[in-house]
Amino acid sequence: MSKSTFLYVTYIRTTADKLWDALTKTEFVKQYWFNMHQDSDWREGSSWEMKNSKGEVWDSGKILESHPPRKLVISWHHEHDEPARSEPNSRMTYLIETAGPLVKLTVSHESDVENSTLIGKVSGGWPMILSSLKSFLETGQPLPDPRKAA
Amino acid sequence: MMGNSKFVYVTYIRTTPEKLWDALTKNEFIKLYWAGSQQRSQWRIGSSWEALDPKGNVWDHGEILEYDRPNKLVLTWKHVHFKEFEAEGFSRLTYLLEPTKGAIKFTLTHEIDVEESKLIEGVSGGWPHILASLKSLLETGHALEEEMTEWPE
Repeated sequence: MSKSTFLYVTYIRTTADKLWDALTKTEFVKQYWFNMHQDSDWREGSSWEMKNSKGEVWDSGKILESHPPRKLVISWHHEHDEPARSEPNSRMTYLIETAGPLVKLTVSHESDVENSTLIGKVSGGWPMILSSLKSFLETGQPLPDPRKAA
Repeated sequence: MMGNSKFVYVTYIRTTPEKLWDALTKNEFIKLYWAGSQQRSQWRIGSSWEALDPKGNVWDHGEILEYDRPNKLVLTWKHVHFKEFEAEGFSRLTYLLEPTKGAIKFTLTHEIDVEESKLIEGVSGGWPHILASLKSLLETGHALEEEMTEWPE
């Protein structure tokens, strides 16, 4: 049973296929994920890694479910900073549902750890990333990294 | 101990604080991204506040508690259309606008001193579409299409 959960829903004017590509293709991910990118072939059982622009691994895991362009479930272990690195695998799910001319994207990131440090950290990160993704798909321009000074 | 229910949503919008503030408080914008609804208020501390459907029926009402343009708005919010929400009494809505590099960080908090609140459960399903549509309106000039085709009776 999950003890810590981050849940976020957004609506994007795009198609399910374009959103799936934006979530899984490195050429797109690099544009809106503030210099991070992911390496995987996105097949069930495959490994998955999140890397910064220098190629350092920040998170890793496995593809648990892959149903393009509807649902992706991955295990997610943080590799970079303590204490999140000592926590067991978390689980991240993308759910993509078509709503007329829009796509509803639900991101849930869950951990069995009570008051998980990882879930606390990603709860600050996901809104930035998903806002940038929506801007990227709707306007062609991602957002600048909001963590840098205004 | 008093229970509490809270919905928090953060989004980053490429706009200015003043434009976002106007979009949150002026009906010419509100009706575009909020399913044709309107809000009636003098937008001053202590003023009354009402949210109305396109026919002019009041769905929610309250009072402006804080008004700090273009940074922070806090109001009380009592739903009066559905009985089970109305029975929970007043909730509190906060808009917080913070400039970051190239975008405004917008944090919406809707909370009530009721454990497992039905109102907060209900609005948790509605806010993401309203805020996604608000972001699209400010960034592209076009709000998003509505999920619901008619207001419920």
